[in-house]
Amino acid sequence: MTALGGALVALGVTVVVLSALGTLLLPSLFPRLHLLTPVTSLGGPLVGAGLAVVNGWTLTTATVLLTVALLALTGPVLGAATGRVAAQQEGLLDEGEPE
Amino acid sequence: MNWWLLAAVVLVVGGFAPALYLTSRGAAVERLIGMELAGAVAVLVLLLLAQGFGQPQYLIVPLVLVLLSFAGTLVFTRLLGTRS
Repeated sequence: MTALGGALVALGVTVVVLSALGTLLLPSLFPRLHLLTPVTSLGGPLVGAGLAVVNGWTLTTATVLLTVALLALTGPVLGAATGRVAAQQEGLLDEGEPE
Repeated sequence: MNWWLLAAVVLVVGGFAPALYLTSRGAAVERLIGMELAGAVAVLVLLLLAQGFGQPQYLIVPLVLVLLSFAGTLVFTRLLGTRS
């Protein structure tokens, strides 16, 4: 099971590194926002799943899974909030829209 | 050094360093994206470090960091908004 866990962690690390390097290559703000999502929604859960497979059904696994679940839940919220601030600053929102 | 620590080092070099670069350049919102990325990568690095050192009690640190970086980034989005 260690090999499977290691493979999952390696996959997650690859996703995170590629996304982080991709944010450097993209020229503008909104495309960069897209690349935040794979880190929190794919890379994080993959790393957490790998650690869970290695550790088995223990309290350690529970803490790891809770952490990556919170990361996956809060990531899209932060992305939406940041996108809204960016749209506000670039004047893309109408005045009548709810805050 | 075991494989978990190696994965943590790869994440620091390949994930945290670009995030710090983003955080140090450009407009305020672009820096905010860098900070969000840095927070997410830091959580994963700390998970891998706890596994690599064989110390499960360290896992409370990434768990708290997730919640704090969430609240902290929301404060920044509020402060950077034009209508406060």
